[in-house]
Amino acid sequence: MVDSKHKWKAWLYLSPALILLAVFTLYPIVNTIRLAFMEDYGMMKALSGATFEFGFGNFEKVVEYRNFTTCLKNTVLLCVLTVPISTVLALLIAVTLNSIGPLRRFLQTIYFLPYVTNSIAIGMVFAAMFNIVGNVSAEPPLITTAGIINNFLGIFGVEPINWINVGSSYWANITVMVIYIVWNALPFKILILLGGLQSINKQYYDAAKVDGTSRARTLWKITVPLLSPMIAYVVITSFMGGFKEYSSIVGIFGETMGPPGNKGAMNTMVGFIYQSLEGQHQGRASAASLILFAIIMAVTLVNLQVSKKKVHY
Amino acid sequence: MKVVLENLTKVFPSRNKKAGEEVVAVNNFSFEIPDGKLIGLLGPSGCGKSTTLYMISGLQKPTSGKIYFGDDDITALSPENRGVGLVFQNYALYPHMTVKQNILFPLQNLKGEDKLSKDDMLKKAYEAAKLVQIDELMDRKPSELSGGQQQRVAIARALVKMPRVLLLDEPLSNLDARLRLQTREEIRRIQRETQITTIFVTHDQEEAMSISDMIVVMKLGVIQQIGAPQDVYDSPENLFVAKFLGTPPINVFDGAIRDGKVYIGEDAVLDAPGVEDQEVYVGIRPEGFELAEDGALHCELRSVEVMGRDVSIVSANAQAHTPVIRSIINADNKVDATQKEVRFNLKAHKTFVFAKERVTWSMANEGKTLYTFNKASQTLNAKYDGKSYDLGVLLTDEDIAKLEKQAKQSLSPVAKFFIKQGKKLLGAAQAKVAPAVELVQSLIPEKPALTGEITYKLAMGKNKEGQTLYFAGGVDNARLCVTSDIQKAVDLHAELVTKVVGEGKKAKTVVEGYNVYYLDGETKVYPEITVANGENHEKRIFL
Amino acid sequence: MAENKKATVIMHERDIEKTSKLQVVNNVFGTFFRYLFLIIVAVVVLFPFYWMIISSLKTLAEYRLSVPTFWPKQVVWYNYVEAFTAANLGTLFKNTVIVGVVSTILSLVITVLTAFVFARLEFKGKNALFAMLLGTMMIPGELFTITNYETVFRLGWLNTYTVLIVPFLVSVFYVYLLRQSFMQIPDSLYLAAKVDGTSDLKYLWKVMIPLAMPTIISITILKMMGAWNSYMWPNLVARDADMQLITNGLRNAFTEATSGDTNFPVQMAAVALVSIPLFLVFIFFRKYIMKGVSRSGIKG
Repeated sequence: MVDSKHKWKAWLYLSPALILLAVFTLYPIVNTIRLAFMEDYGMMKALSGATFEFGFGNFEKVVEYRNFTTCLKNTVLLCVLTVPISTVLALLIAVTLNSIGPLRRFLQTIYFLPYVTNSIAIGMVFAAMFNIVGNVSAEPPLITTAGIINNFLGIFGVEPINWINVGSSYWANITVMVIYIVWNALPFKILILLGGLQSINKQYYDAAKVDGTSRARTLWKITVPLLSPMIAYVVITSFMGGFKEYSSIVGIFGETMGPPGNKGAMNTMVGFIYQSLEGQHQGRASAASLILFAIIMAVTLVNLQVSKKKVHY
Repeated sequence: MKVVLENLTKVFPSRNKKAGEEVVAVNNFSFEIPDGKLIGLLGPSGCGKSTTLYMISGLQKPTSGKIYFGDDDITALSPENRGVGLVFQNYALYPHMTVKQNILFPLQNLKGEDKLSKDDMLKKAYEAAKLVQIDELMDRKPSELSGGQQQRVAIARALVKMPRVLLLDEPLSNLDARLRLQTREEIRRIQRETQITTIFVTHDQEEAMSISDMIVVMKLGVIQQIGAPQDVYDSPENLFVAKFLGTPPINVFDGAIRDGKVYIGEDAVLDAPGVEDQEVYVGIRPEGFELAEDGALHCELRSVEVMGRDVSIVSANAQAHTPVIRSIINADNKVDATQKEVRFNLKAHKTFVFAKERVTWSMANEGKTLYTFNKASQTLNAKYDGKSYDLGVLLTDEDIAKLEKQAKQSLSPVAKFFIKQGKKLLGAAQAKVAPAVELVQSLIPEKPALTGEITYKLAMGKNKEGQTLYFAGGVDNARLCVTSDIQKAVDLHAELVTKVVGEGKKAKTVVEGYNVYYLDGETKVYPEITVANGENHEKRIFL
Repeated sequence: MAENKKATVIMHERDIEKTSKLQVVNNVFGTFFRYLFLIIVAVVVLFPFYWMIISSLKTLAEYRLSVPTFWPKQVVWYNYVEAFTAANLGTLFKNTVIVGVVSTILSLVITVLTAFVFARLEFKGKNALFAMLLGTMMIPGELFTITNYETVFRLGWLNTYTVLIVPFLVSVFYVYLLRQSFMQIPDSLYLAAKVDGTSDLKYLWKVMIPLAMPTIISITILKMMGAWNSYMWPNLVARDADMQLITNGLRNAFTEATSGDTNFPVQMAAVALVSIPLFLVFIFFRKYIMKGVSRSGIKG
């Protein structure tokens, strides 16, 4: 490292970044914590000169709020379902991709495509694919077109399922969300895991081959352990992202965060924070964001603890 | 289990697809390995010895030829059905498993009628561990073991299923000198105890000579000589074999045969009745000299080194390939170290005469000799416009390995990526800033592949004056440049002279030639320099 | 010794002909199923894009056929015209491009300077400061948003370009990424430049930036894509119709996402219009995007 004689220069170069970070990153951390402990804080009220007492009221309100439990449940459920499914699927795809010669690059590029898309825009495409055009609440339902997914399932004799329309069930909604989130999460995981696979010394596989190791056993006994740091990384980051799930739901259901007539049925933690914010309940939003932060920290710590035991390096 | 190789050939497609050239790693290899013997495959880097080993293991498929275990043709069988044990150069121990799990692993793979009970497996694992004396370390992870211990674990893992053939790839190259001695004795002992036919690959002649029942000396994919170590040493069939075996190495002189006598300079040193007159190399083992007042060979005495039992006389002769020649004689002979001259008679059975023949690079279009490569000494000479340049010795395996290791440690993949991307920019930056040799070194470890030709992408060497020279291989290995300017070597590495032919959609870039740099700084575009590939050069002339 | 050897051989003799045949069959089947699996995955990955494109080219009547068509019987383009006007895409594109380009340029300047300081210059507390900045990456962005919303409100920035550009100019993550690249460049180059009297900024411009170009390109593309795809912040602070960015405008123009009689062909046309620039960027820069992402692990 090189010593600079003109230390003021370093600070000069740093100043734009530091000023912006101070205003938009560091100050908010302090301020948001402060707001969370100010009873019933609202920006408009504050601007008109109201004062707020210190207290835990915001947290109590968040926890008592019925919508919040729905949000928490949805968030956790989506996380718990999508992280394992997408990780296992990505692992299988990466391993298979790594074992072929021709077309590998081409397929790798295709698999990466969902990454560069706009999750709201493509959410709308998924919504179109699952959507039933017609009046599903009529008795019997008037179906003009059942949507391509239902058409596809129809080949196997499945009756059209009301995935996301009026009166759709909770689990139908969840299924659509899981499918969309997994589809969206695969590219990143495949890329990372494939990178990890390619850095594994080929000689381990040669050794396994000479010893007559079956494919499944090679995958389970050699690839997975040697890839475990990457798998842990992917799982931890996707848990962190999963708890912040929001825009994919907006993509499918719109800002109502639920099928028509059932507003907020698919709402998540982040959605809750935004709605509190828009409703001028900054105090409540702050409390919720701190709770979200605490949950993410806790899950990450648990993940790290588990990976310490399971990861082999 | 007897192993028979029949006309085994392995051709690798060229890495440069456009050039379409192929690389013959192993060329028409035929050899019968007797049951229960320890065989050393010996040769310099890129001689095809490892490829041969991998073909026997089944990890690589021969282009043509057959492999037999006993009387069975197993050429088509995949590795797991051959029943071989393979020890990799870097051991390839599974880092996440304990020693015990590593050794058990091959047993747990056995299926059908081969399947063992858990107790049996454990018993076998402990037997194997005991054989290599690591039964105390069974619960450790490979990272907690020393290099020598890891090596033993690797051998135990290969031995545990009692393979028909045990294959070892450079088993000692990752060990330090003291461990090498110990481990090679160990390998010998294990092989004797198990009686498993064992084939090992090495570039270290001492290693191969000391423990093998039989050695196979290879070069450029071609067998040079096969035999018991002592026989090969005593009667080398060509100069390469003569130079490859023996420490201190054989002394080589330029010589000639005239009128039925072998001459070194003006000294007629041996009789060669009935041999036609020609230029030759004369190779004399250090122990082939006899001190004599009226000896035939005149040498300039440099120094005398007393080594107890023996005396080593260091002298010089204008015809010798090396600055000094080294002869070892019995200590009973008193040598007067103050003398200016020393004279020797030569022992006929320790002196070998080889026909002079060299491999040359010539320009495909002009047919002129550009480089002459002395395969035996691995030295290179360039002729250009009537001037001759001695370009020194190419790096040895060990040097390359060392450089590779260095480069690997010091540079992250990201840095390598930058070097690739920023090479041109760097050139400009360096012109202004300073030479940054550390950036350049990372270009070296383009791993010498198993090719039949010179494989150095960018290597360093020194010429006789001690000047450092850099060798830059072309995009494929058939092109070569030598320069004292590292920057040029680096540029050249990326710089083919290309030309666009055709127009519009049909336009394509073709390789027109190659920039060649000379020591005097001149640059010239040459068409491809092709390598003449030959076999068994510098053959022995039996007197 | 010989007897002992016999007794210990574990692997039984193979029937060579049978085994070789089995091997071939195994290999062929293995390869077949691997490709089959990969191609199915590829189809699943690509299908939504395919469906988006063909739906946008169908007439509404054809879209609503109870038996779907996989290629429009009649290719129509008016859905695109309608989407463009219905969602006011012209304004949205303009806004997004302005915000994207300006914020990317400013962000690059700041990121390069900051990364340079942290990689090359020396001052007291540098490492502590950098560690603290890295620490902020752990905190979910929503936590900042709450206060930032209030800050920009007080500053009177709502519904301006400023509010869309300024608050997220500095990404600690990009600084980190670029600093890593800068650190790979040997010190000796810098020392030599100092000896020659080259100024810091000149050295940065002439040597470090060219050498770190791949990373800088990655950052540029990811930042641009970020502007294109950003939704939450703009949705909060720029709700006026003529200040909206593309994603908000798109979502807001088609609010009734799942009601029974949405005009999906028009909606798909709008989605395609938003997605196609991203595809083009991907096709031309996929190397940099994939490199950047594999080193970063964030969604742009």
